[in-house]
Amino acid sequence: MKRKLIAAIGAATVLTAVAACGGSGGGKSKDNAGGAADYKGKTLNVWLMSGSNPPGWTKDITAAFEKKYPGAKLKITVQQWDGIQQKLTTALSESTPPDVVEVGNTQTPYYAATGGLKDLTSVKSAIGGDDWVPALNGSAVYEGKQFAAPWYFASRVVVYNKKIWSAAGITTTPKTQAELFQDLDKIKAKGTKDAFYLPGQDWYGFDGFLLDAGADLVKKQGDKYVGNLDTPQAASAIELYKKLNSYGTAPKDKDEATPQQSDVFAKGDVGAFLGLGWEASGAITKNPKLKDEVGYFAFPGKTAAKTASVFVGGSNLAITQGSKNPELAQDFLTMAMSDQFEGELAKEGGVVPNKASLDSQLAGNAFGTVSAAAAANGGTTPLIPAWGSVENAPNPITTIFMTGVLQGQSPSEAAKKADTEIDKRLSQQ
Amino acid sequence: MAAQYRGTSTRAPDEAAVTPGPAGAPPGAGAPAPAGPRPSRGGALAGRATPYLLILPALAATVLLLGYPLVRNVIISFQTLDAFQLIQHTTQWAGFDNYKDQLTSAEFWHTTERSIFFTLANVALIMVGGTLIGLLLNRLGKRMRLTLSLGLILAWAMPYVAATTVYQWLFDTQYGVVNWVLWKLGWHSMHDYNWFGSQFSTFAVITLMVVWQSLPFVALNLYGGLTTISTEIFEAAWMDGATPWRTFRSVLFPMLRPFFLGTTFLEIIWVFKAFTQVYALNAGGPEGLTETLPVYAFVEGVGNQHYGTGAAISVLTILILMVLMSYYFRIILKQEDEL
Repeated sequence: MKRKLIAAIGAATVLTAVAACGGSGGGKSKDNAGGAADYKGKTLNVWLMSGSNPPGWTKDITAAFEKKYPGAKLKITVQQWDGIQQKLTTALSESTPPDVVEVGNTQTPYYAATGGLKDLTSVKSAIGGDDWVPALNGSAVYEGKQFAAPWYFASRVVVYNKKIWSAAGITTTPKTQAELFQDLDKIKAKGTKDAFYLPGQDWYGFDGFLLDAGADLVKKQGDKYVGNLDTPQAASAIELYKKLNSYGTAPKDKDEATPQQSDVFAKGDVGAFLGLGWEASGAITKNPKLKDEVGYFAFPGKTAAKTASVFVGGSNLAITQGSKNPELAQDFLTMAMSDQFEGELAKEGGVVPNKASLDSQLAGNAFGTVSAAAAANGGTTPLIPAWGSVENAPNPITTIFMTGVLQGQSPSEAAKKADTEIDKRLSQQ
Repeated sequence: MAAQYRGTSTRAPDEAAVTPGPAGAPPGAGAPAPAGPRPSRGGALAGRATPYLLILPALAATVLLLGYPLVRNVIISFQTLDAFQLIQHTTQWAGFDNYKDQLTSAEFWHTTERSIFFTLANVALIMVGGTLIGLLLNRLGKRMRLTLSLGLILAWAMPYVAATTVYQWLFDTQYGVVNWVLWKLGWHSMHDYNWFGSQFSTFAVITLMVVWQSLPFVALNLYGGLTTISTEIFEAAWMDGATPWRTFRSVLFPMLRPFFLGTTFLEIIWVFKAFTQVYALNAGGPEGLTETLPVYAFVEGVGNQHYGTGAAISVLTILILMVLMSYYFRIILKQEDEL
């Protein structure tokens, strides 16, 4: 009797252990387009990524949208980049996905290929896509069809604390990498623990160094892509990265969001970091005393002739295939792409807009000016669907290669392991 | 928990001593028990149906919450289910491909080996530590016993993710109190030591946390069991000149054997399936070197969006757990036959 009981518990617990690993099902969604004129009670769900939507823009577009479509509600949800692909896949598979989603440029081909995004080819002109800069629109086009609207672009630049730099006797920003390290040495000599704060897993930053060294993360071999980290170029790029990391206390096995490097910089005792406009403004919001102390310069090249190449990050806005409010979603997209709001985003966020005619909006934005100029030497990851698999957590570029080298492995040793995993993922799509 | 056992102490000691196992289990799990010996009184249909009606809610909940996901999981393990199939809602059968891939993969077997050693090490530490604390509880005075029990219950009640966050802070490279204490104690090379940088040190932190979380279960249950044993037996052993170790081995252990057996196997299940702590602490890193089978299933399935592969790994995980438990099941079945 007692034994039976124990047996039953044993069996039940085994089952409990198992149920934790369930998959998810879900009903097939049917498009259920509502009437165009009546917006009462409709809510448009929009997913934006952390750091994309500055507060002024968010407030203005919400007000404008709800005024133009009376009765409709605009609900913007901000998502974190960490683990976004799993979350987005799940959301797209559901019967009521968000209506509009922001998708990173490197991840867009992956989602275009899955069929989760609505084909916008026929409405491209209506959304305002006739004068999008072709180079910036590249990631939103898959197999000749437009699956998203290019929203904004940004490249990372050095964000520095003027007070700390001038205290170390530095009067001009460095024009070469050699000068940069001389300056950092001076700052360090002054007792600044974090002359440069660079966490070990900022692969966007690393990709810039790699592009500058003249190589890509992957290369084409026959008709497929394979990992390309076991190269002299990657070795020199990671050595540069490692050297920069050694000028501060940033963790070797964390990315720029853990902890948010803008929060670290906000404390006011960090000389510089590699970052984006929203990170700089986030630091200022956190510590208003920094307001006049924050400066920007493009990461210098090996020589003074040109600044280093950078990874051009960017985001696209897409309508989900399963959206219950496709018309309203398209209306929102049109509004976001309009000169008014695209311009406001560029101005407030310091990001590169999707049209050349709006570039002037960047004029007053210190970060935007530097960032847009640096982006001239920009590059990105290959725009292939399989790339999305490489970025899935745990990302081999960061967890195996970058952290591996930073913690003492030789670049070639770590690269071989990372390439094996990258090859596996690229071939699984 | 201990209070429950005190209630049973009026029974014969040996019988009561068997009860500790079930105490910590979910309510539904004990369901089959009432079906046993009670004879139906009037032979009325309603009377005979009562036990079955009583277990019905538990059974329904089990089928709904465990049975259905389990069946779905097994079905998915025979499919190719990636982001594409998931979003398109298409079903693509893969036969035994997912299983074949895993069974021929060195990574899978490495992970299995790692899981088994991780489980054995943790269960051994939990059982030894828990037993010692349980014995201590029995010997302590009222006030200290209350204090210790309270501490144990708090450790037991701590939610996993919250506990993991606390451990991450404790062992933080720059700001962690552990490194600070070690440094203050004169171990200067531990300044800025990265606990999550190597396989061994990460496992050390995970083990510490898992053992800490599970000690209360063993300790309090053992204490509960001990309160049901008459102290005269120990006095007799003492009179005969038995050492404490001998008393434990020859008197206590045989009496509480079912308790030790049941608890050990519950702990094996608990540690083997531990996902939250291992994943939340360092996501199976560095370089996947602390991935145990459940974490591996999650990383392959959800992380890499190959849900079919993840499902197949989880099914294999169950089978491996069954094999680990086979000794226990054998004992149970043998005893069933004898009844």
